[in-house]
Amino acid sequence: MPTLELKNVSYAHEKGKAVLQNVSAELETGKMYAILGPSGSGKTTLLSLLGGLDVPAQGSVLFNGEDITAKGLERHRRNHISLIFQSYNLIDYMTPVENVRLTAKLDAAPILERLGLGQDEITRNVLKLSGGQQQRVAIARALASDAPVILADEPTGNLDAGTAAEITAILKESAHVFGKCVVVATHSGEMAKQADVALKIKRGLLKE
Amino acid sequence: MSIFKRAFLYVARKRGKTILLFAILLIMATFVLTGLSIWKASEAAQLDLRQSLGGKFDVFVDWSNSPYVVKEPVKEVVDEETGKTSSSFLMYSAVQFTPENIAAIKGVSGVKYCGARQDNLLPFDGLSLFPGTISTDAKYQGYTKTLGVCSTEDDELFTTGTLTLAEGRHIAADDTHAAIISQDAAERNELKIGDYLTAHSYSVEDQGFTGQEIKVQIIGLFTPHAVEQFGETVATYDKIQNRVFVDLQTSKEIDGGEINYGFSALHVAIDDPQDMARVVADVKALPGIDWQAFTVEMDNETYENAAAPLAALNELVVTLLVVIVVVSAIILALILTLWTKSRIHEIGVFLSVGIRKPAIIGQYLIEALLISVLAFGLSYFTSNAVAGQIGNHLLEQSIQTEPEDGNDIVAAAAAVDVGADNLIQKPLPTENGIQVSVGLDNLAQLCLIGLAIIFVAVSASSITVMRLKPREILSKMS
Repeated sequence: MPTLELKNVSYAHEKGKAVLQNVSAELETGKMYAILGPSGSGKTTLLSLLGGLDVPAQGSVLFNGEDITAKGLERHRRNHISLIFQSYNLIDYMTPVENVRLTAKLDAAPILERLGLGQDEITRNVLKLSGGQQQRVAIARALASDAPVILADEPTGNLDAGTAAEITAILKESAHVFGKCVVVATHSGEMAKQADVALKIKRGLLKE
Repeated sequence: MSIFKRAFLYVARKRGKTILLFAILLIMATFVLTGLSIWKASEAAQLDLRQSLGGKFDVFVDWSNSPYVVKEPVKEVVDEETGKTSSSFLMYSAVQFTPENIAAIKGVSGVKYCGARQDNLLPFDGLSLFPGTISTDAKYQGYTKTLGVCSTEDDELFTTGTLTLAEGRHIAADDTHAAIISQDAAERNELKIGDYLTAHSYSVEDQGFTGQEIKVQIIGLFTPHAVEQFGETVATYDKIQNRVFVDLQTSKEIDGGEINYGFSALHVAIDDPQDMARVVADVKALPGIDWQAFTVEMDNETYENAAAPLAALNELVVTLLVVIVVVSAIILALILTLWTKSRIHEIGVFLSVGIRKPAIIGQYLIEALLISVLAFGLSYFTSNAVAGQIGNHLLEQSIQTEPEDGNDIVAAAAAVDVGADNLIQKPLPTENGIQVSVGLDNLAQLCLIGLAIIFVAVSASSITVMRLKPREILSKMS
């Protein structure tokens, strides 16, 4: 059974413009998926629907075979999903370790250490970290929440090539080593190459 | 991470916002606490004023309308020069107040004193009087005012402290042939307690006090709180040192007939002027008093004049409190709204990790409450420092804005009567301002009001953001 499943999902903006049309896909644990497409094609919308931040106009999103609206979207977000954003979205009045502990079900410090952040870095002001370090903290927060699905929206968009490669490797490790279902919306061809499955959105349709 | 830890971290790390919110809450709390304490002080001062000034009402024969008023011709006098005849009349009420009536009125709840007098101008044999400052008719030289009472203890001159019993005892309802005179008159005449004064009953035939001899024993001596000042006009018979109190029985004997068997007027002092209407109604409901004969004149003017500045202050403070509370809530809501909008990023993150909207609003509420605990606590001291000054300044403003001249309060409080009665003392509690102190009860009230303001402000400030869907918030973030 797929971890996440899109079943005949359609979505349109309020102005009536169709973004997704009758999209279906199955996403499994232990794999990294890359969703490619030009700006405005619906990549972020697709992640929002998978993450329970929005609901489709038609069709349904299933987690382990159950419609995510059945027990509530908040519950789905809290228990099944971790989100990683292009702009890291860390809480600025918390240290890295406190950001990770925000939703942590696992011990934060070893995860941060494994992602390359030292003791000194995890207790300083989160805004004093570099972009790459902040994204590592965001990924650590996702891993520490122990959610089975990680949804990442342009996670390397603000990073240099070297750091982007490191983050891509960490996400891949999250899928392969930690057994997560990692879904990444990206423009990056390099990241698409590293993904187990690349899906393209074009004119509202999703193709492998 | 718990909601409390998130709130604590925000308050501890966002020091600029914390200090600003602390300052706003401190100012708000100081104003509210000051207002509450002034309000309480004003209420207490009004209560004190009511209790110290009391109220009073007079009950007297309705000479115009009473069916019991009798007018009898006494004697026809022929003028020797003109040959014209003039008639004298005796006018009295056939229904009068009895000592039993007075006792019943004293028993009414809220009545402090009930006094009544029979006034007579008469001479006492060999009694040397202090001379007045104005000349009197030759016929009345050697005369002094004699007051027949049931109890001197209930007489207005004693109840107001104008006279004090210096020696001996008061005249009581069951006394006969008893008298109280001034200590000065006793010294002047070398009299002491136990000595006797001699008077004569009134003779209708002679139109003078030439009747039966009446001896009264001196049972007490009084001292006046004040005497007439140099230059004040007062007749000999009206001088306070010359005044003689006798019991009712003696007064009736002096009167020389059965006509004046009781009192034509009563003076009733009550504990609380606010109870005036109720007490008068209770008195009117007493059995054994024929109200066709009497009329009531209520006098709350002294209290109302003295309490007017406090009532105005009360009104002002309540208005200010309402304004402060509303303005504080609006200012706080506006500032928190701005801050909430600046925290949209944080809201988006919280929502994306599954933290519920009520928990986010709850965090904001706890943040404000954490700061308010410090602000409200400190406001106890700041309010204590300024409340007294502000309260008395507002009271002064209230006095100045009263329609009548402030001096009238003093004038009104010193009830002006005739003769020695103008010496009657009246307390003026507002003269020294009000005693404002911030109490723990005020602090508890502040906490309740502050909680309400913070709750309203946080809720109002969160409405706009919280109505958005998570996706819309995340879109705003990006």
